[in-house]
Amino acid sequence: MIRFILADLRRFKAGALAVVVLIALSVALSVTVTLQERAVRLGSARAAEKFDLLVGAAGSETQLALSAVFLQPSPLPLMSGGVLAKLSDDPRVDFAAPVGFGDSADGYPVVGTTTTLVSALSPALAEGAFFTRLGEAVVGADVPKRLGAEIKPMHGAADEGGHTHTEIAYTVTGRMAPTGTAWDRAILVPIRAVWQLHGMEEKAGHEDHDHEGDAHEDHDHDHEAHVDANAGLDEHFDAATPGIPAVLVKPKTVADAYRLRQEYRGETTLAVFPAEVLTRLYATLGDARSLLLAIAIGTQVIVIAAILLVTVMHVGARQRQIGALRAFGAPRRSVLAIVWGELFVLFLAGFALGIAVGYAAAEAISASLAATTAVRMPVEFAREDVPLALWFLFLAVLVSLVPAVSALRLSPARALRA
Amino acid sequence: MLSLDIADLTMRFSGLETPVLAIGRLHVPAGGQLAVTGASGSGKSTLVNAITGLERVTGGTVSWGGTDMTRLPTGRRDAFRAAHIGLVMQDFHLFPGLSALENVVLPIRLSRRLEPAERERALQLLDTVGIARPQQAIETLSRGEMQRVAVARALLARPGVIVADEPTASLDGRTGEAVADLLVELAGAEGATLIAVTHDPALTERLDRRIGLAGGRIVEDSAKALAA
Repeated sequence: MIRFILADLRRFKAGALAVVVLIALSVALSVTVTLQERAVRLGSARAAEKFDLLVGAAGSETQLALSAVFLQPSPLPLMSGGVLAKLSDDPRVDFAAPVGFGDSADGYPVVGTTTTLVSALSPALAEGAFFTRLGEAVVGADVPKRLGAEIKPMHGAADEGGHTHTEIAYTVTGRMAPTGTAWDRAILVPIRAVWQLHGMEEKAGHEDHDHEGDAHEDHDHDHEAHVDANAGLDEHFDAATPGIPAVLVKPKTVADAYRLRQEYRGETTLAVFPAEVLTRLYATLGDARSLLLAIAIGTQVIVIAAILLVTVMHVGARQRQIGALRAFGAPRRSVLAIVWGELFVLFLAGFALGIAVGYAAAEAISASLAATTAVRMPVEFAREDVPLALWFLFLAVLVSLVPAVSALRLSPARALRA
Repeated sequence: MLSLDIADLTMRFSGLETPVLAIGRLHVPAGGQLAVTGASGSGKSTLVNAITGLERVTGGTVSWGGTDMTRLPTGRRDAFRAAHIGLVMQDFHLFPGLSALENVVLPIRLSRRLEPAERERALQLLDTVGIARPQQAIETLSRGEMQRVAVARALLARPGVIVADEPTASLDGRTGEAVADLLVELAGAEGATLIAVTHDPALTERLDRRIGLAGGRIVEDSAKALAA
């Protein structure tokens, strides 16, 4: 029986191949949609894990969360630096780290922060040491800069028509271990360097830094800013601290987290749990997935209809063969099994190929997403996929029965005349 | 060995006023040989379909050794044909992609497990009909060889009757004669009744009795001519 089916399939190679490819493509579409949606969801959930509570200036919650978790460039409003000082001193807070976005270097975001955040992201550095001076930087795992390399920050991003800050070149002193988040692409520098670069520190009145900076007067161009790359770190903040777009807060307990969020939701500040914001976004993503999946299933229905048409025609052309099989003594159940089996084998092959292609496509999309965002998106099958696969198989069994049953409609003599 | 008894057999096709086949009575004894001749459209093929159960008859009975085939339901009729009737067709109806041996045993394989003894018999039959390489792919054989393989296939299940429908019509003269010889010889050796629809004189003259069909009726019968 199997030999006969295989011999038959070999004779109709081209047609069989076309059927397999059709099924494979439509299955691959659904598989990719399902896997990719899951990958984005898991990947971004993991990316948000390290960010318990974000406090920023009043504005869009989504924007704040996306900027901090995915380092998506966007003009966030600044809030008073006093908030940072207050959070740093709060007994319910484990640590509070400022996050200053806006600059970039070679397409990698330059983020001003403190050593606290660096150690939160990468408790142990992959190599090198934390920054200890304003002119030093720690890079993310995916930033292609060696220790000792110089980084010239650019205001905004190159493709937005930003200009280079000529006042400073950061020296790479350390590299973080991979985190699987967007922060693998980040260049972390002392927040005070960012402030000074943008002429914010002076207004806040840090006189002592100004005096030390005298030695580098020749570097001072028409820019209002002035940075002393050799100045040491000062990670104490007070009411006079310049404005910042966001503060990352690690509360001591869950209860503290909720209380803090409540307190900092006001007229001037905004407090969000990034994970919660992302969950809301996933709901939207889920809707998009449902739509895509519906389209994919619609495609499958069309493909199956096309295949039915092809096989019914094919069976028509094979009536003689089927008639002969019966005339020479093959029982009807064998004929049924042969016609059904051939189609089912094609369905199975297409199904398997489709899963492989879909998986590969999802992997490729994830890889390209990871290359641009550094957020690792894990492509994996889950238990909830099993019923979906079983449904497909059940449907394949039913659909492939149609031509088999129609093949037995005619008497062997009429089939032989066909 | 099976005898054939036909009584009041009629085959009608919907839309046609007169039956395409109407045979009042025909008896072929077990082990007998019968040639059926007639022009195309005379009802020869319809007769083959009726006596082999390939088509349901619209009236009368067709009995093989006492079993009325017309009363069997489709499945049983197929099974009866598989067990008792060896078919040889003008177009061979062999299956490409399989070897000569595989073609011979295919009907059995498709219904149950092939016994080693049956495989032995298939090889022996192929040897008898003159196929030297049983593993050769069927599509690489000559037409004459193909019909020989078909004869071997018809004989494998030790049928009580062999029904051949124009077995030599698609072969050239000498090849046709060889196949005709083979059919008559083997049917005799296996003790099977032989019924051959043919217009090939080489085959007709080798058989005991000949009937002629026209318009679905028996218009000639060599047995009656002799008796008369």
